[in-house]
Formats: sequence, structure tokens, C-alpha cells
Amino acid sequence: MPLDITLFGVQMPTLLPIFVIATVVQILLDRIMSDGGLYNHVWHPGLFRTAVFVCLFTTPCLLIYR
Amino acid sequence: MKADNTLMLAVKAFPLRRTLNEWLTIDAAVLIYMAKAIIAALLALWISMKLNLPDPRTAIFTVFIVMQPQSGLVFSKSYYRVLGTIAGVGMSLIIMGMFAQDPIWFIALFALWIGLTTAAGFKYRNFQFYGFVLAGYTLCIVALPVIETPLEVFDIAVSRFSEVVVGIMSATIISDVIFPRRLLDSLITSERERFHNVLSTLRDPQSVFAVFDENNPAVSRFSSGVVGLDAVRINSNFESGSDRRERQHYAHLNHEYMNLSTTFHSLKSIVASIKEGQKMELLRALESLYQPIVSALRTPPEGVLNPEDLNELVSELLEAKKEVQERYERERIVFEGEDEFTSAAYLIIRLLHELHIHCATYLSLLKLRLSGTSSREFSRVVRFSTHTDNVLVALAALRGSGVLLLSMMFWIWTAWPYATLTITMAVVIGLLLGTLPSPIDGVKDFFKGSIFALMFAAIYDFYIIPAYTSDLLTLGLLLAPILGFVGWMTTRPKLPIFSFGFVFMFMSQCALDPFYKIEPTKFLESSLAALIGVIFGGVAYLLVNFWSCSLTQQRVAKILRRQIVGACEGVLNTERSALESTGRDLVQQFSTQGRLNMRSSRLVFEWLLATLEIGRSILAIRRSAQRYSDLHITRSLESIKRYFETPSESTQTVLLVSLKETISSLRGGDKPSEKIPLKHFETLITEFSLIRTILLNSTTFPLSKEDSCR
Repeated sequence: MPLDITLFGVQMPTLLPIFVIATVVQILLDRIMSDGGLYNHVWHPGLFRTAVFVCLFTTPCLLIYR
Repeated sequence: MKADNTLMLAVKAFPLRRTLNEWLTIDAAVLIYMAKAIIAALLALWISMKLNLPDPRTAIFTVFIVMQPQSGLVFSKSYYRVLGTIAGVGMSLIIMGMFAQDPIWFIALFALWIGLTTAAGFKYRNFQFYGFVLAGYTLCIVALPVIETPLEVFDIAVSRFSEVVVGIMSATIISDVIFPRRLLDSLITSERERFHNVLSTLRDPQSVFAVFDENNPAVSRFSSGVVGLDAVRINSNFESGSDRRERQHYAHLNHEYMNLSTTFHSLKSIVASIKEGQKMELLRALESLYQPIVSALRTPPEGVLNPEDLNELVSELLEAKKEVQERYERERIVFEGEDEFTSAAYLIIRLLHELHIHCATYLSLLKLRLSGTSSREFSRVVRFSTHTDNVLVALAALRGSGVLLLSMMFWIWTAWPYATLTITMAVVIGLLLGTLPSPIDGVKDFFKGSIFALMFAAIYDFYIIPAYTSDLLTLGLLLAPILGFVGWMTTRPKLPIFSFGFVFMFMSQCALDPFYKIEPTKFLESSLAALIGVIFGGVAYLLVNFWSCSLTQQRVAKILRRQIVGACEGVLNTERSALESTGRDLVQQFSTQGRLNMRSSRLVFEWLLATLEIGRSILAIRRSAQRYSDLHITRSLESIKRYFETPSESTQTVLLVSLKETISSLRGGDKPSEKIPLKHFETLITEFSLIRTILLNSTTFPLSKEDSCR
């Protein structure tokens, strides 16, 4: 994948749309996980949530910068 | 395990155990918060320096703006900050792209945008307000610095936005990962306190039947916190592990508490009027009607902590309900035709019913928290509706646009390059402090904080940073104490605006650029410009602030009357929760905005109660009248409407006569024999008596004769 993409005539790093998409996915996942009661079984919900977001964001980033 | 035990023993043996405990709950929390603020701010500084963002100050400033002790507040504020920044940046691109060369259009659209965002912000509550206000003043921050070189607007827009995002990410991650304090936990604590307060108030018959005592804290507290706790519940939405069912429980508890408190206060005011009328027999009958509630609540509330006790309480309340109903049937024969008895007894029964539901919901919440299964399922969603007076909104918009135009004039007349800072500051002050109870005092605090911050900024800019920093690490180490100090100040309840002013000024004047570039003249000129901006903001509050106590009373009375008129002719499926929450939100807003003194606050609260009760009764009557229609009923509703549209002595007399006629015709008429029409028939009698009793008792509303503003 390219390092820069052009959206609506504006050139920007590909990381930016990835970040936005990862945030949306994260919010949806978070809703599902909290309503499903997953967080009751996790030691540190905040850390877990952050870790999930890091995974979601960095996996596509690694694909780009490989 | 063993180590744990020895530790516990050691703690127990510690002579100053209580002191330690206290230190852990109060002081340690502040220290942790300070540490969190320092770490988040330095993280934001480090990231923005590494990414070579032009203005790392914005990132640190954002950290301090969104940082709060509880992580739910941080999330919610961050969310609205991002939305507000996006809107503001977008708007600045549009305005700069189209009108940068044309001062008149530029200023006009600028003022329009500020006015619009202020008005929209005023319509909303909590941090949504903040989001809108931010959308307004982001325009100043982005567009004004590049007004001479409009082609740079895109760069500055992108970098301001990136800095805000960096700040927000640092603040949210740090506050959710390091010693998170969940808002939901504080919510359950306050909910428990409130529940215990309800129980201890209701188990004492004196709190209902004694004369009103302003010093009895339980009674006066029995209405507070409805609006505030709802805000807490909304803000906890973004927290990790916030369960949808749990939030639903809180919404229902709040709504039920609102109903309970209205019923309680209405009952109290009717009982007070019975007392005044010296009807001792009636009073004794009511006391005996209330007796089952007292005996059901005989365990002190401190004993009702676990689900088992609460379960017992709920079943006892169910028993009490039957008992009260029996006693009511017995007494009813004695007091046949007495409106006061009918309405007071109805209120007691309703109070018990609502208490029962409230306890059941609380029980369900406890079960949900302990075992994950709730005993109540809620089919409907209760909404907390709000109402904002349009006059207040218009005033705020006028103030926002006005202060912008004033400072723009200052800029044009002086042609001072730093006057853009004046504009920014004036707009920030004019918008952000508008929801405070007394904005002028807020501006004063802000000014003091700014002066204080300028001293620190000068020391840092001209001595510490040039003399001792060589790289990012030393800069961070040297900044840490002042960041911690700011963190400490924000936890002080007395200094919120002072510390806000401090952060704002310190962050805008501190030399935190990627390359050190600060000159004394620039420092002095920009500080002076900012301070003038603060003064402009204060002047705006002085000028556009013609609220007086009696004007506020008039507005409130008018709006409350309109609510009753709306209940008379509006849609039938208006819910009681909507009526209640709107009224309470309205009065809360007026009492922070409209300078009411203690006495008139009491008066306004009484009006609110009367409105809520009458509005609810009217809706119930209209629902029942669909099944059991009668000429008298329509005529009474008509005269209620007329009275509240144009209150006067004559319409009041007409109304009271027509109510009396309706009640006696209903009482004298034949009762329906089937069960459902009979129920509607009895509802009609009760509700009409209730309205009549309230109208007879409340001598102040809507015809206010007493002047409580002196």
C-alpha cells in the first residue's frame, strides 16, 4: 500500500484514514464488549481497551511500512 | 495470601489507621491525579515535539482542558472537543477561503458563526455546550493569526487539529490506564446516599406531618441532585465497561426519584394547608393512613445494604400497599366528599407505590452489580428532556457576537498586530464563562489567574528555559513542577476559573516551541493584548446582563403556565417524565442564570411543584375522559386553560366554581358498574379534587402577589 493517499484532492498520510477507521471499529467493538459483559472478566478494562486499539491501529500500519 | 494477612494486621495495628485511611482516600487521590496530569502533559509535549508540530503548547493546553479526575468525564469532554474542533477548523477553512480579502463579509460571517455556536451551545447541556463553544472560538484561533497571509490557513488548520488530537489521546489514554477512577463508581455511591436519604426521610412521619422546617436537611435535600446526577450518568457513557443495562437502571432511578420527590412535596404542602385549617380529625386519619409505610421502613436505612434485606423491604412495602388500601376504603366513608382527604390520601397511596417501584429498581441494580443479572427489565427508555428559554439563548448569542464585534473594532481602530489575541481572548471569555452562576466573578478570577500565570511564564521564558534546558528531557523535568501545580489547582473546588485562567495564560505565553524563540517585547505585547481581551469579555457580561430577580420570576412563571396550557391542548402521550425533567431542568437553569435569592428560589420551586402536579393531573384527566366523557369535564378543562393563559382574579373564580361543579356532579352522578369505567371515574374525581386543592392552597401561582425579590 502507498504511504500517501489523495482524498478529495488533499494529499495525506495513509495513517490518517487508518486511524479514523480504527477508531470507528474500536467504538463499535467497545459497545459490543461492554454490553456483552466482557469487561467484568478483565483485570484492567482501560488497559485492555487501549491494547485493543493499539492492535487495531498498528496491524494495518505494519502492512504499509513493511 | 499470608503476606496479605500480615499486611492487613500491620495496617490494623497501625495507631494512625484512620489517618492513613483518610490520607489514602483524600490526599493520595490528589497526588495520583497530579501525577497523571504531569505524565499526560509531558507525553503530549514529547509526541508533538517528535512529530515536529509547530505549536506543542496547544497539545499541553488540551491535556489540561480535558483532564479530570474521573475518566468518564475525560472521555466525554474529549469527544466533544474533537467534534467542536472539526467544526471550527472546517468553518475557518470556508471563511478564509471565501472572504479573507473582504473585511465586511469576513467580520459579518465571523459574528454570525460565533452567535450561532453560542446559541446552539446554550440549548445543550454539559460538555455538549463546550463542544459548540469550542467550534466558535477555534475559528479565532485558526483564522486570525493568518489573516495577513491567507494561503497558510490550511497548514495552520491541520497543525492545530493534530495538536488537539495529540493532547486528547494523551489525556484519555493516561487517565484510563493509570489508576483509573470510574465515574460509574461515584454514581453508585451518590445513588446509595440518595436512596438512604429517601428511606430515612420517609420512615419518619414527622417529615411529612410536621410544619415545614427549613433547617431539616433531609426534607430540603429531597429534591436536589436530579439534574446533576443525570449529567453524571450521561458522561459515564464513554467509560470502559459501562454496561447499557446499568445505565438504564440509573436513568430509571433518577426518574423515579423525581416522581417520588414531587409526590412527597405535594403531599407535604397539602398537609400543611390542612394543618392551617385546624382539621385535626382529618390529619389523624391521614397519619393512620401513613402508618403502614412507617412500619414497613422500620429498619434503619444503614441496615439495608445487601439484596436480601432489600428484598424483604420490597415485600414489606407490597404488604403495606394492601394495608393502606384497606385503611383508605374504611376512612373514605367518613370523609366522603372532602377534597382534601381525597387528594392527600391519593398522594399517600401514590407515594407508597412509587417508593415500592424505586426500591425494586434499586434492588435490581444491586443484583446487577453483584451477579450480573437484573430482576427488572425495562421495556421503555426514559428520556431526560431539557428546556431552554429562548430569551436566555438570544441573550447569550447577542453577547457572543457583540463581544466579537467590539474587539474587532478595537483591532481595526488600533491596527495593532497583537489585537488578534485580544479578539480570541474576549471571545473565549464571552462564550465559555456564560453558564457560570456569576460570570463577572468568574472573569475576575480568570484575570487574577492570568496575572499569576504571567509571572510564572516570565520566569520560565527568560530564566529557566534558556538557562537550564538543553534537550527534551531537561525541558520535561523543569516543566513537571509547574504542571503538577496546575494539576493540584484544578482539584481545588474553589479555584476552577482561577486555574483555568492560569493554564490558558501560561500555555499561551510559555516558550514551548520546537526552537526557542521568545523576545521580551513580543511577550509583553501579547500578554497585554490577552489581558485587554479578558477585560472586554468582562465588559460584555456587565453590559448584556439585564436579568433581575423579578424578571426571572416572570419568565419562569410564564413558561410554567405555558406548560400547563400545553398539557391542556397538546398531544396526549406526553410522558410524566418529560414534564418533570423539563421543569426541573428549566428551574435549575434559571436559578443559576437568573439571580434568584433564597426566598424566591423557594417560591419558584413551589410553582414548579404545582405545575408538575397540575400538568400531570390534566393529562390523567384527559386520558380518562376519553372513556368517560362529560360536559362538565370539558368545561373545566377549558377554564383551567383560560386561567393559565390569562391569570386574573375573575378567571380564578370561574375556574374554582367550575371545578367545584364538576366534582359535585361527578360525585352525585351514578357510578359505572363495570370495573374499568369505574376506575376511570374514580381517577377523574381524585384528579379534579387534587387540582382544586392545589389551586386553593397555592396563593402565589400564577397570580404572584407577594414580592419576594426584596
